[in-house]
Amino acid sequence: MTSQYVSPFDERVMAPEPLAPRPAAIEGRTVALLDISKNRGAEFLDRVETRLQAAGAVTMRRAKDIFSKPAALALIDEITGRADLVVEALAD
Amino acid sequence: MPPPPHVLRGRGDRLQNQPAPALSVVGVDPAAASLDDLTGSGAALLVFVSEECPTSAMALRNLGPLCRGWAAAGLTAAAVFEDPLDVAIRVARRLGWAGRVLSQPPPYQASRAYGLVTVPTTVLVGRARTLEATVVGWDQPRLAALIERAGAILGTALAAPPGTEPLCKPGCSSKAAIDPEVAAAISRRTFDDEMEEMFERGWTDGLPVVPPTTERVEAMLGGADGSESLGLVPPSMGEATLERVAACAVLAGCRPEYFPVVAAASRAVLDPAFNLHGQAVTTQPAGQLVVVNGPVRRAIGLNSGMGALGPGFRANMTIGRAVRLLATLCGGAAPGALDRATLGQMGKIGFCVAEDEETSPWEPLHAERGFEPGQSIVTVIGCDAPLNISDHRSRTPEDLAYVLAWAAASAWSTNWWPLAEPSVFVICPEHAAMFRDAGWGKQRLREFMFDAVHKPAGELRRGETTPLVHAADPAAEIPKWAAPEAIVLLVAGGEAGRYSAVLGPCTGMGSQIVSVEVESG
Repeated sequence: MTSQYVSPFDERVMAPEPLAPRPAAIEGRTVALLDISKNRGAEFLDRVETRLQAAGAVTMRRAKDIFSKPAALALIDEITGRADLVVEALAD
Repeated sequence: MPPPPHVLRGRGDRLQNQPAPALSVVGVDPAAASLDDLTGSGAALLVFVSEECPTSAMALRNLGPLCRGWAAAGLTAAAVFEDPLDVAIRVARRLGWAGRVLSQPPPYQASRAYGLVTVPTTVLVGRARTLEATVVGWDQPRLAALIERAGAILGTALAAPPGTEPLCKPGCSSKAAIDPEVAAAISRRTFDDEMEEMFERGWTDGLPVVPPTTERVEAMLGGADGSESLGLVPPSMGEATLERVAACAVLAGCRPEYFPVVAAASRAVLDPAFNLHGQAVTTQPAGQLVVVNGPVRRAIGLNSGMGALGPGFRANMTIGRAVRLLATLCGGAAPGALDRATLGQMGKIGFCVAEDEETSPWEPLHAERGFEPGQSIVTVIGCDAPLNISDHRSRTPEDLAYVLAWAAASAWSTNWWPLAEPSVFVICPEHAAMFRDAGWGKQRLREFMFDAVHKPAGELRRGETTPLVHAADPAAEIPKWAAPEAIVLLVAGGEAGRYSAVLGPCTGMGSQIVSVEVESG
């Protein structure tokens, strides 16, 4: 039996997204540290920020309003416009 | 470093150093399907493959992890499938292919243009779209030389294919090398069991589904415009066209007369206030409870009586399942992928309950929420699994309300007080009758339950608890719920047996209850 089916998938969003190229060094780069507002994420980012600054990176701290929703578009735009790299603290 | 000598073999050799033929293919992004785009960063690696070919699978599995590194250096890799696009994307994902995914329909013009007789065949296209090298089948030494040649073109070293056994493996016949009519027949999968094909396509929640043929989907739509968009389904943000919602309803086993309820429930869960995004990806076990009120319950045979939260009734089982399939398939929230639930719960297969408005002594849920009793309304609530509450001994409404309320004391977590999100109590008819006979309205019951469950903050400071408990005076009484309104009351169940139930909340999401009217067909 051959049948034509209607796919429940939206194929446009199923293709793998390639990762951005990784820089060879972080010295002089601006690194956004994004706290998703989960418990103790800020503590984790404190430690990461200290180490990044010691390595010569410039850091900027930002936070999502709530961890369970996507970041606001304005926040995404700001980070992509100002930062070279992002570190996101995901969970407690 | 000069380019290594040609590493070619097969019919593709004849095209060596000639302009690469145009690609008659489709991709997710049409702009990415042209040779100009693929060679825009320097060079392109075209890997012609087919789903049915084990050697193609091996090539994709071996080369896939290298694609991102190659892309960063200017070599864009694309798997060119001799299969439909949805099949291509699924296979690429399953095999870890991180490059572009392209598809060509019969009669496979791209494969023909490149002179293929075998898949996999790997073609290197250099700057100015010149054919540089071709490797037929899986041939690791030749592929390594081909990648070295690509590196020479780009002026950088590229990671070579892994030298794991087998180093060489013959491929399969390209569909382009077969008579077009035969190839077209091959491309239509001839599964002996189309139910198994659904599993193969990934169109399932783990249970058998009804294949969504065009005829069934059209019947489900009932003349509605399938291109109408209900919005984007998180977390992957696939677009919920009415046609895809109907496909999910078919897969779930719905009858066409259920579809207005499925569509309303879909609209409800896609309301940003419901925060399906958070519920879909959380490690919590949250499911999406679908509550149906109004005349549509009886019209489509929803069960609100015996076994109201259990199996046995097609409308209940399939409507909730259709909503879940929409989130899982169109939204990409497949368990173990973007659905990160630690344990999950059976309600995540689908959970649809109809309120027994005829037995209830109270106004139904949708009337509480501002709708007219005669309207058919779907209400969605993010919920944990139900906890049974047995009480055959209470003789006063106060005792019964106390038992019901304290059963929920450990909802979410033992010491997580107060809960801001709703706990849903499904009150059985015998319990409801006791409150009716005592003249208790919904609000009185709700406030009694709220007042009944509280503890000193000091007793709650153990393990997981709330910032409010930590900050409070140890003697301060903390209620289980932040407000009486966090207690949702429904009536459903068989006429005999004093078993009610409570469904704990989905917390921390800011997820709100959402109600949507069912549009008449």
